[in-house]
Amino acid sequence: MVGRQKRVLKGEIEEPPTRIDGQPEELVIRTLLDMFPSTLTDFKKVRDGLLRAKIERRDLFKACKSLRDNLGFEHLSMISAVEYDSRFEIVYHITSYEKRLLLELITTTPKDDPSVESISAIWGGANWQEREAFDLMGIKFNNHPNLQRILLPSDYLYHPLRKDFTGGG
Amino acid sequence: MAEMWINMGPQHPMTHGLWNLRIKVDGETIVDAEPEVGYLHRGIEKICENRTYTQIIPISDRLCYGSSMTWSHLYCLTVEDLMGIEVPERAEYIRVAVLEMQRIASHLMWLAAYAADLGAMIGFIYTMRDREIWIDLLQSLTGSRITYNFPRIGGVAHDLPANWDRDALRACDYMDKKLKEYEDIFDGSKVFMMRNEGVGILKKEDALNLGVTGPPLRASGVKYDLRKDQPYSVYPELEFQPCYHTDCDCYARFKVRMDEMAMSCHIIRQAINNMPKGKWRVVSPRNAPVGTGLGRVEDPRGEGMMYVVGDGTDRPYRLKIRSPIFVTVSAAPKMLIGYKVADVVAIMGGLDMCIGETDR
Amino acid sequence: MDVVTKDFFNWATRNSIYPLHFGIMCCALEMAVASAPRFDAQRFGVIYRSTPRQCDVLLVNGPVSKKMKPALRRLYDQMPGPKWVIAMGECAISGGPFYNSYSVVPGVDQFIPVDIYIPGCPARPEALIDAFIKLQKIIKENKKGLLTGK
Repeated sequence: MVGRQKRVLKGEIEEPPTRIDGQPEELVIRTLLDMFPSTLTDFKKVRDGLLRAKIERRDLFKACKSLRDNLGFEHLSMISAVEYDSRFEIVYHITSYEKRLLLELITTTPKDDPSVESISAIWGGANWQEREAFDLMGIKFNNHPNLQRILLPSDYLYHPLRKDFTGGG
Repeated sequence: MAEMWINMGPQHPMTHGLWNLRIKVDGETIVDAEPEVGYLHRGIEKICENRTYTQIIPISDRLCYGSSMTWSHLYCLTVEDLMGIEVPERAEYIRVAVLEMQRIASHLMWLAAYAADLGAMIGFIYTMRDREIWIDLLQSLTGSRITYNFPRIGGVAHDLPANWDRDALRACDYMDKKLKEYEDIFDGSKVFMMRNEGVGILKKEDALNLGVTGPPLRASGVKYDLRKDQPYSVYPELEFQPCYHTDCDCYARFKVRMDEMAMSCHIIRQAINNMPKGKWRVVSPRNAPVGTGLGRVEDPRGEGMMYVVGDGTDRPYRLKIRSPIFVTVSAAPKMLIGYKVADVVAIMGGLDMCIGETDR
Repeated sequence: MDVVTKDFFNWATRNSIYPLHFGIMCCALEMAVASAPRFDAQRFGVIYRSTPRQCDVLLVNGPVSKKMKPALRRLYDQMPGPKWVIAMGECAISGGPFYNSYSVVPGVDQFIPVDIYIPGCPARPEALIDAFIKLQKIIKENKKGLLTGK
């Protein structure tokens, strides 16, 4: 990123004793790259405790399942939907409590088919977050148990966060 | 027995904020539940795409008005991550002191509403009186009682007034005495204990899977606090412990918050005693670089996150806000099924709902 | 009959204003604090009631979203007369910082008649108590007999 500086903690701060530097991230990187050699791209360690990767949407469900079952990522923090000129990006932030890691997993969908597999069968916390992404941005989640509007009235016609909606803000 | 759906809300004395709880009851026992939110949706994420980075700070205050300093601090952290700004150390210590004061004020507000709902009006009266002390401290610093507009991108708005640290240390001593008094009031009240013990059990696996964070998660036995485990700001230099209990019921959530108040007093003392001298703000650039920024804090209600996408101009391209209560409320049916209608107040009150952040 | 009882009923009404237990956003915290020990609105006879059928005053203290608008109108219609409406805070007066949002009604007086406006963001508890005193003056000046309506 342009102009990014590393945040420096003043003084001699020791790492907490249960975490050996670099190893949890490397384990995750190696395991995921072994499982998805072609669809997982742009793997990067942004800083200690934050990883970023891009994955194609057809392997998303399998990747999330192995994250929860094999790699100890117990908690889904956030699902964000971002609209760019030529695509929609859905960003999943998944946390591992035992490894003290946050993984930022980015999926891309084409503009005319904004749909992706729902992961609410893996993490129940994804249920309402996916409903909100559907409500405000219009992303369809396949196999979602109850994909209805949640924040806006149920007879509302538009998806307000899209860039072509100029009704407010 | 006939089953029927009952609407509790949007206007209901139990619901602090506007939301609707639809429960399916079989006699007095709850069989199913469905929370319904969205009555306070203001479209903040769309509004933020048309405001400059500094103009969004007062709006981010109004996300959760019970703990508004946390949200504007979270927003400033996110934008500082995007722009790559390093905040001076004095500003970080001031931020930590003010954040912990906000945590105490937020927990006291929760306790006032919780006690009033459960019938212990004495809890309402005493905690509101003590909350005024912290609000006065924050008012003498920022000028406002609940929505402060105090953190800035690159630091804080201004330096501490004279004698503020002396008053803050006095307030911490007063609070420690009062916390002992609260323990006597609440633990000694048989009705309060009966309404809370064994009610609203949320097991550890359910809490982890459903995305519950904050005091309800720590009350289910998971020893995880973002300030300790993925720290931000100057929390690595301060000495404290996450407060957790293993009982998983409403009483455990109550105890976790009481312990957190005592721990916050401890943190405030350290922050004020170790505060260095120096600048309290650096100038931030007007335009943000192209890229993304991520911020994550331990809100009094759970894990708050913000994700900002910058596009080279002075307005964000996209700002996404993760509200802890939005996900915790979706876990509410797990906690409600099997209990009586009269337990709804204790269970939902124990989650400390603030609808401002749920609906954005 | 009204000549005899008008003043007495008017005195009773203005010294027992019962607002509805209804909080929307930040100004609701200040409304709660106004009945707390420091500011103490109860000494003016203000007690919050939970059901609109028992209330005189509807205190709107936050932005009204389009989803909430029919529910709020229903609450107003359920209150028995004579009734008054106080719009507390910028969001209820004109939409506040969210005035041009796609889902906020810009001002509660678009669908409910308002008697008193309290400015502030958030309005201080002292301002709310000042509004109650002003409401007492309004009730005193518009003396109408409750039995005959004159």
